Amino acid sequence: MARGQWHTLLAGMGFGIVWMGSQAVLPAVIGRAIDRGVAAQDTGELVRWSGILLAIGLVQAASGIMRHRFAVTNWLTAAYRTVQLIGRQVVRLGGTLPRKVSTGEVVAIGTTDLASIGQVMDVSARFAGAVFSFVLVAVILLQTSVPLGLVVLLGVPLLMLLIGPLLAPLQRRSAAQRALMGGLANTASDIVAGLRVLRGVGGEAVFLDRYRRESQETRRAGVAVARLQSVLDALQVFLPGVFVVIVVWIGARYAVSGRISPGELVAFYGYAAFLMMPLRTATEYANKLIRGRVAARRVCAVLALEPELRDVPDPAPSPPRGSELYDVRSGLRVRPGVMTAVVADDPDQVAHLADRLGLFAAEPDDDVRLGGVPLTRLDPTEVRRRIVVSDTGSTLFSGRLRDRLDVAGASDERVLAALRTASAEDVLDALDGGLDGEVAERGRSFSGGQRQRLVLARVLAADPEILVLVDPTSAVDAHTEARIAGSLRGHRVGRTTLVATTSPLVLDAVDEVAFMQAGRVVATGSHHELLAGDPGYRRVVVREAEPEGPLPAGRGETEAAR
Amino acid sequence: MRQVLPVAGTRAVRAYAVSIARNHPRMLWTALSLHALAALAALAAPRLIGELVEAVETGTTVGHVDDVMLLLAGFLLVQTVLTRQARYVSQSLGEEVLAELREDFVDSTLALPVGVVESAGSGDLLTRTSRDVDQLGWSVRWALPEWTIAVVTAVLTFAGALSVGWWVALPCLLGVPPLVLGLRWYLARAKDGYLRENASYSQISATLTETTEGARTVESLGLAGERVAALDRDCADSYVAERYTLRLRTVFFPSVEIGYLLPTVATLLFGGWLYTRGQVSLGEVTAATLYVQMLIDPVDRIVSILDELQVGAASLARLLGVGQVPDDRVATGAVPQGEKLDARDVVFSYVEGRPVLHGIDLSVGVGERIAMVGPSGAGKSTLGRLLAGIHPPDGGSVTVGGVGLTELPLDDLRGHVALVTQEHHVFVGTLRENLALAAPPGAGDDAIWSALAAVDADAWARALPRRLDEVVGSGGRALTAAQAQQVALARLVLADPHTLVLDEATSLIDPRAARHLERSLAAVLEGRTVVAIAHRLFSAHDADRVAVVEDGLVTEFGTHDELVAAGGSYAALWHSWNGDPSPLST
Repeated sequence: MARGQWHTLLAGMGFGIVWMGSQAVLPAVIGRAIDRGVAAQDTGELVRWSGILLAIGLVQAASGIMRHRFAVTNWLTAAYRTVQLIGRQVVRLGGTLPRKVSTGEVVAIGTTDLASIGQVMDVSARFAGAVFSFVLVAVILLQTSVPLGLVVLLGVPLLMLLIGPLLAPLQRRSAAQRALMGGLANTASDIVAGLRVLRGVGGEAVFLDRYRRESQETRRAGVAVARLQSVLDALQVFLPGVFVVIVVWIGARYAVSGRISPGELVAFYGYAAFLMMPLRTATEYANKLIRGRVAARRVCAVLALEPELRDVPDPAPSPPRGSELYDVRSGLRVRPGVMTAVVADDPDQVAHLADRLGLFAAEPDDDVRLGGVPLTRLDPTEVRRRIVVSDTGSTLFSGRLRDRLDVAGASDERVLAALRTASAEDVLDALDGGLDGEVAERGRSFSGGQRQRLVLARVLAADPEILVLVDPTSAVDAHTEARIAGSLRGHRVGRTTLVATTSPLVLDAVDEVAFMQAGRVVATGSHHELLAGDPGYRRVVVREAEPEGPLPAGRGETEAAR
Repeated sequence: MRQVLPVAGTRAVRAYAVSIARNHPRMLWTALSLHALAALAALAAPRLIGELVEAVETGTTVGHVDDVMLLLAGFLLVQTVLTRQARYVSQSLGEEVLAELREDFVDSTLALPVGVVESAGSGDLLTRTSRDVDQLGWSVRWALPEWTIAVVTAVLTFAGALSVGWWVALPCLLGVPPLVLGLRWYLARAKDGYLRENASYSQISATLTETTEGARTVESLGLAGERVAALDRDCADSYVAERYTLRLRTVFFPSVEIGYLLPTVATLLFGGWLYTRGQVSLGEVTAATLYVQMLIDPVDRIVSILDELQVGAASLARLLGVGQVPDDRVATGAVPQGEKLDARDVVFSYVEGRPVLHGIDLSVGVGERIAMVGPSGAGKSTLGRLLAGIHPPDGGSVTVGGVGLTELPLDDLRGHVALVTQEHHVFVGTLRENLALAAPPGAGDDAIWSALAAVDADAWARALPRRLDEVVGSGGRALTAAQAQQVALARLVLADPHTLVLDEATSLIDPRAARHLERSLAAVLEGRTVVAIAHRLFSAHDADRVAVVEDGLVTEFGTHDELVAAGGSYAALWHSWNGDPSPLST
């Protein structure tokens, strides 16, 4: 990763060096100005050194901002490149992804890991500057006075080490506080997510009490952190202070004995204060490098995954259009050009069947055949092009509605016709901007029923040769379902469609129904034939056959219809 | 129909901040004075070093140097102790104020009117709960104390510089114009710039999340190229936002740096000039230069934390806004006579000028089962909400026992009517806590067990390792959708309203569990008046009467048999559902 952006990294380091370097020499310049200008009462020298001070200050400001600009560029380049790599890997893995990594892991890459990797790139420029300025100051100091120089050069790292032992318990307490804060945030989200329930049936006081309790616990953990943090803060005053006292003390004794000038004394004071900065940068670099490596390892783990569905080395020729889709295992035949429905007594079987028909099963098998050729022998891209499966887990993506519905580069008319068939025109009307309206993330601004109809419209607009729909109307009301059922067959005329459903409204509107029991097709025929002839089918499809209905008659005004 | 939660105005935010400060007078003043004392102790160093330089220049003894340095060490010790105390007190204060803020926020959230809760959607509220509370936490815990300390330090350091001589103020003034101009320019743009930048990262994360979650959809529809393009587009947007804030900083940082540099240079020049004229001593020039340099750090913190505070204030405004939602019900104290639910000539709109209901009359008999059917968007759910007292009608009336539903206090209303929706949230906590929230005060475990038994959930509840003490909800034991729904139903048994409004209560359940649940639901409905917004026709046919809602009006109302006989839109639907060989007409 770093190799790809070496020139900006290098430029950033260069400016980092100039920036910290100019900061490092500032004390020396001030010292000279006091010595040669003020103390010597030489106005020319004073103006000259003040001018140099101003110039170095300007160089520092300019190199500082340039360093920052390169640091941000490095950060962004690394972050965006990571996002793009991960995004490409996610779409490459496709259906394999959910089986290999949790969504949370990928999302974590998009948020925290991204920042960690970017920060390494950012801090690298400053680290270069820190190393350089430390060496620079060391040289200046040793030239002035060897013992004093050694005190500064050895003392500063020693001080940083002294703070070390305090950091471990502080990090422990901070981690404890962060965990409590996370828990508190979860409680708050839980309350908001269940607010309808709480406002509906009560319990607000209980939850407020619980939140208060956790909030106070978090506060106490925060105070425990403060107890240590304040010591650390005070040490950051004390340790450099002690150091300054030592340096100035020795320096002052040298000055009294005439070994150094008063201006050099002021400069020493400045160096001692300045050196804290490069050292802090060094510790920061170490920390971020560790975190960045962990993040990079996580990213690499995801990038190393391989899709389960490999390209077939020598794919069989694609069967001609209008070939029959046949599943040996269940005995299901999906005849070309008509609309078939499959009804199963066990919804799991339907889900599994859809997975296999769409080449999404964890372990692909040779039992599903298109025109006699197992799907696994065909080029996967070709299978995807010809057979499209839309199940209840289909995601509606965010963006402009037109772009989200029109996945195959269809015309507006085709999209509108699909929306009409899916009875989703009301969604279009209600959306600001119609087809140009924005869909929220995962279609969250729509109700479940609206989302389902839009997802249906999307596959209808894609217009594949073979379309497999799993429970396409499970979340819409009976009126709308009836409308969809009425127009679906007309929309798909001449193409092959398989609908998995138990809704009589839809079953009534298809060409052929296959009834599946325990994973095998046991009967085929029209909805009415099966209703009349197969009691098992009737039990699955018409629920009134059950002894108990959902609304037991209240006062016995109505009898069962049949 | 999405209602946006308000954001508090500047004045309300300021008033709230003042009231918080007034609530903790002792800690606040202790913290401030400790910081002031610590800053004062720090001011000794430049003075003493200046004196030292002067003494060295004029000739002095090692003994004097030792004395001065001992004094310096003493001040350092005092400063250290004071700093530790000051930091501790101010950080504790920050934690306390933050706890108060978030608790107030959750308090107002829990008091939000039900109508707002139902229609605002949880997105905005969730953002406020997570992001704004986080942002405010950062501001209160870190930015505010740091800023306050910086201000105290800067003021005292400046005073220290002035104590060297009035002349020091002049070079310092030179730094003000670039600082103030740069800051004003920057702050006017920074907040929006950084908000946009944050939003762009949320967008990247959102796109990555939905692509990951929909990875299968991406594969089956061949959306890979489009998804990659979307992500690239998000990165490009984010880059634009980043470029903007980078440009802001490119102007701002150097102008601030110059604001720091000018006073240092000017102090040297001016001080040197005064020294040549014999008006100041060398020690004074040194001390003044060091003071001016010392000023840089606190001033820099004041300047750089300001935009952080700005963002914190914006978060606070959003959190306080939740408390500003007016209540939509006025309790009149009227007591309902009987349990009869009546809607008369009800008119309602979410958005002015776009009525959803245009004059609905519906009279529900005590103990009656009514099913509401109709196409999406006809107003069924809205009518359901009005019947449950969630929203007051714009025109007409919805009454129980002759009293308007929104004239009842919420606690009383819950005893009369409850709305049951598809949502079945399981709270993080024990199973007992999940149920007890709906129980009348003082109800014991017996009541909870019998409610669970009523909904046929006692078997699995007893099988839990810790029974009622089992922790459920996100992070705890995961309940199946059906179990979650049973918990929701058991809550209803405990709340015991005489009338229930069911809004597609079982529609999103796994079909495998539906039948089992229908039995649970039937138990809850036993002995109550029920208005069910029917999703599946089989639930309509068992109702006492069926109301067909179309375009905000009740177009058909009668028993199932009457409506089937009448041959209207319900009859057509029924025949089709039931597999009768009659043509489908809708």
